[in-house]
Amino acid sequence: MSLLDFSFKLMLWFLLTADSSLVNIAIGVAVALLLPQFGASQHRGTSTFGLLKVWLQMLGRIAIAIPQAYFEAFEMMLNPHNVEEVTVVQGEPRETAGLVFLDIFLITFTPKTIVLNYTTHGQYVVHSVRPRRLS
Amino acid sequence: MVNIISTFCIGLGVVFWLWGTLPLLDIGVAPSGENRSILFKLHSLSVSDTLGSMSIVVGLLFRLSREWPLLLLALFSLAIWNTVLSYVLAYTYCDSGTPSGRLN
Repeated sequence: MSLLDFSFKLMLWFLLTADSSLVNIAIGVAVALLLPQFGASQHRGTSTFGLLKVWLQMLGRIAIAIPQAYFEAFEMMLNPHNVEEVTVVQGEPRETAGLVFLDIFLITFTPKTIVLNYTTHGQYVVHSVRPRRLS
Repeated sequence: MVNIISTFCIGLGVVFWLWGTLPLLDIGVAPSGENRSILFKLHSLSVSDTLGSMSIVVGLLFRLSREWPLLLLALFSLAIWNTVLSYVLAYTYCDSGTPSGRLN
């Protein structure tokens, strides 16, 4: 049972119910324990601590991505981004499917870039827009 | 003060909504006169759907702070599902043909 997985489900439960009574906490813990684990088969024997470190780095990247996404939105509004291009980006090797998902999420979340495909060699096919002047 | 911030966030979200959905109508946005590709529209839709809607929910968060758990959940869902949907749409678009041939 992964701790991260458990706390994620528990967090969703508390956000949904918005109730911190003892009974509700008990139900939440029971439900979180009973639900099947996300992506359990992809785990390739990294320590929980190492995985926790990677996830904390990811949280940091999400915190950066949100203001960056708004900044890119303003750039796109003020300066027409008419040129479209497809590039292949080499990503870092990822331990679990969840981390690959987060990588794709972070690239697609910013409005200038969208992931089209993820190859088995760990490459992301990225579609992006840019202003004409730079070319 | 809280009301001003809230109105600003909601207003920003509405501006994002309108700006991001304009390319869907194909009104003279492309310089070449051709219609924009689906992928280009997805870029501006991610501005309106994800960022605009998130901004509106943050504006609501200032106004209705007692409902914060549900609004936070809505914020997470918007961020995750809109982003994943644009990835899925882009993926299936590419799957149905050669994207690079259509883009240039």
